[in-house]
Amino acid sequence: MQIDALPLSIKYKIKYPDEFIEAVKRGEIVATKCKNCGSVYFPPQKDCYNCGKNEMEWIRISNEGEIMTYSIVSQKPQGFENYEDYIIGIVRTKDGINLMAWIKGQPKVGGKVRLTTDNMRIIGEVVG
Amino acid sequence: MARRVAVIGVGNSKFGRRDDVSVQELAWESIKEALHDSGLSQSDIGMVVVGSTAYRGIELYPAPIVAEYSGLTGKVPLRVEAMCATGLAAALSAYTAVASGLVDIAMAVGVDKMTEVDTSTSLAIGGRGGNYQWEYHFYGTTFPTYYALYATRHMAVYGTTEEQMALVSVKAHKYGAMNPKAHLQKPVTVEEVLKSRIISWPIKLLDSCPISDGSATAIFASEEKVKELKIDSPVWITGIGYANDYAYVARRGEWVGFRATQLAARQAYEMAKVTPNDIEVATVHDAFTIAEIMGYEDLGFTEKGKGGKFVEEGQSEKGGKVGVNLFGGLKAKGHPLGATGLSMIYEITKQLRDEADKLQQPLKKYIGLVHNVGGTGHFAYVMILRR
Ligand SMILES: [Zn+2]
Repeated sequence: MQIDALPLSIKYKIKYPDEFIEAVKRGEIVATKCKNCGSVYFPPQKDCYNCGKNEMEWIRISNEGEIMTYSIVSQKPQGFENYEDYIIGIVRTKDGINLMAWIKGQPKVGGKVRLTTDNMRIIGEVVG
Repeated sequence: MARRVAVIGVGNSKFGRRDDVSVQELAWESIKEALHDSGLSQSDIGMVVVGSTAYRGIELYPAPIVAEYSGLTGKVPLRVEAMCATGLAAALSAYTAVASGLVDIAMAVGVDKMTEVDTSTSLAIGGRGGNYQWEYHFYGTTFPTYYALYATRHMAVYGTTEEQMALVSVKAHKYGAMNPKAHLQKPVTVEEVLKSRIISWPIKLLDSCPISDGSATAIFASEEKVKELKIDSPVWITGIGYANDYAYVARRGEWVGFRATQLAARQAYEMAKVTPNDIEVATVHDAFTIAEIMGYEDLGFTEKGKGGKFVEEGQSEKGGKVGVNLFGGLKAKGHPLGATGLSMIYEITKQLRDEADKLQQPLKKYIGLVHNVGGTGHFAYVMILRR
């Protein structure tokens, strides 16, 4: 026989870098660059695993990009049930950084996007 | 120098929605079968490794209860986890313990009971199978989405079609229908796959493995023990490889194959001193149909970009160049994460012993391969077995 188990409610707090959240609110996307060896990190990280130093500077990422691939999400997970179908893409920016974004417009592999934000997440608006 | 290690016993529970059992009862189904298969009892086992992801079940720490229920208390030093490759991660741990001489006989048990939460919760847990902070949190990635990103790119770069992906599903369901332990036992057609509900385009419901409960067990022994116990059909592990890749999927580049699989396969082939052309039967990790197509390519069964053709030409069918997923694969047999890799060892062991009945691949060299991917290409394990 199956009976109800005790409910398990988990609430997490998660840490993001202030600089990243503030940049997104300005409509900008930023990465970190090691002042010592020049390694660039996206997702941004404050420690450089390449040289072991932790002296990073924030750099702005180009807002021009190309859609490398995408998927249209129909079956939504918990937390996203109330959204319309959304398009998740991988975009390669003009400066060679690959990042995840929501795509607005008609996507195609190789299509060009202009990167912006919706104050929370990165958006790739299809421009051709 | 490491000792030679053989698989001397295997067990596989019925996969499916198993409301009839608890997780420990489910684990025991395959443990009991493997003990019987090897002719051993619990007291013969020197170490037990439990592979389980556990996040979808009520028992978040399943190793002690599985040990207690199965009479293995005192033998379990750890639980291992490598997402969908948890089964082979557990196998690697047990193998290593025997190869190093730490123990003479080790058991790896894989178990997951994934249907204890609803589908939306399951998708949310699976969606965290990437880099939660930079992916799921903002973008609502689901597990199918990650594979869909590979499918879209593979289609754009190589012209792989949705029909070719559907053929992987058709093949899996055909064999699943012949396997009484499979979760799904109904054949499907290409048209049914193409018309099934879209989950994360281009991945549809019938491109996706089901959410399953199940367990599988393998027992590993040293060469001396194999002789001492007079095991008449040992299956030797001649090659093993493992690798991983970036968690943040965008960082990986290319998105037409898994670098982790390519690296793991190269390591396993070198260790076994064989080439992809020597492999006659294989399990290829097919959580989604595109995964099997990329698997053919990454494992070297065919050239990069020709995976779609490989299935279209029937080269992965029973009797083909490499019989792939002849027990129904993850797609139809099911994919209880912790059990899957060990269930693959079960299948290839049965094949190499000529015990696969209607699903038996005709063999000449008796060389088989097991391929288990964790996450969405985060981890890959490849094992080469021969009789
Ligand atoms: Zn540095």
